[in-house]
Amino acid sequence: MRFEGKTALVTGGSRGIGRACVARLAAEGAEVALVYHSNQEAAEAVAAELADAPGKVRIFQADVRDSKRAHELVDQLFDEWEHFDVLVNSAGIVKDGLMGGMTGDQWQDVLDTNLGGTYNYCHAVTQPMMMKRAGSIVNISSTAAEFASRGQTNYAASKGGINGLTRALAKELAARKVRVNAVAPGMIDTDMSQVVRGVAGDQLKKVIPLKRIGKPEEIAAAVAFLASDDASYLTGQILRVDGGLSLGGY
Amino acid sequence: MPTKEEVFEKIQVALIDALGVDDDEVTPEATLVGDLGAESIDFLDIVFRLEKTFDIKIPRGELFPEDILTDSTYVQDGRVTAEGVEELKKRMPFANLDAFAENPVVQDFGNVLTVSDMCGFIETKVEVTE
Repeated sequence: MRFEGKTALVTGGSRGIGRACVARLAAEGAEVALVYHSNQEAAEAVAAELADAPGKVRIFQADVRDSKRAHELVDQLFDEWEHFDVLVNSAGIVKDGLMGGMTGDQWQDVLDTNLGGTYNYCHAVTQPMMMKRAGSIVNISSTAAEFASRGQTNYAASKGGINGLTRALAKELAARKVRVNAVAPGMIDTDMSQVVRGVAGDQLKKVIPLKRIGKPEEIAAAVAFLASDDASYLTGQILRVDGGLSLGGY
Repeated sequence: MPTKEEVFEKIQVALIDALGVDDDEVTPEATLVGDLGAESIDFLDIVFRLEKTFDIKIPRGELFPEDILTDSTYVQDGRVTAEGVEELKKRMPFANLDAFAENPVVQDFGNVLTVSDMCGFIETKVEVTE
């Protein structure tokens, strides 16, 4: 078990990719703080499902846009744990729309949650991780950061921002033995991607070289790898996990 | 209430931990950048450790006002303007900037701050006995 005796915080942990990350880290022995926004029932269900996992899972409510709450939560956990080993920034939303019809709120909500939330939790863990000279941050980006889709200017901007943040922070913290990486999922079977999958239907599978939609667990496996000591010489990288979608060509 | 000597000893520990230097290198006269090899990320680390050690909050930029040194209104041709020097003095009353003011080259600023200045800074934050 790669995370025995380690601690982790996962934002957006009650559903989709975040939920799979919580399960994977707990299965490998990590004590996990699952951060959820609004669906307490779902968060409790994840914790209940993982009650027998090697690592303990506890749930915490927080809006990732709330910087003060991020610091309070991280400080509280650091006081208790005395080391803060893994942060997974998975909380994210989509509010797609063509630019001509996109409202300011649509733009800002996506930027504030996806990029602002990632900043808030990276900022909060910088101090404990720097002081302990250890830690691994994994941000959930998207292939949408680099490969354009109509109606996703806000989402693409937020994920592109996460890639930039990831690389720059990796450089800042490398001297303190804190690694920062991101996973960029392609099309994954989650509630959030349902809208796109609903529109594109089976056409989507045809353009994915592996000819199928990915599973959240496959993203969690990549996250766990980057978070673990198996990736001890990796920092500042954006790992695409997309069934080959980003390869392009024909 | 710590004594001045205790403040120095705690700062010494914070600097040893943050910079990986030996205790005999951390003398009151040692400069953080020139003698102890601190880089910009180290100042953040040092501030974190001082906050924890003394149970205080240190607003970013208060101990080492980098924002002035990167502000084009205060820096021209690699030198801090007279206005910038005044601003630095206002922001860093705990440090002696007279020598720097004579030849205010931005790149040399890192050599200004000494361990003794840092003690002076902490003494503005916590009550200290002789």
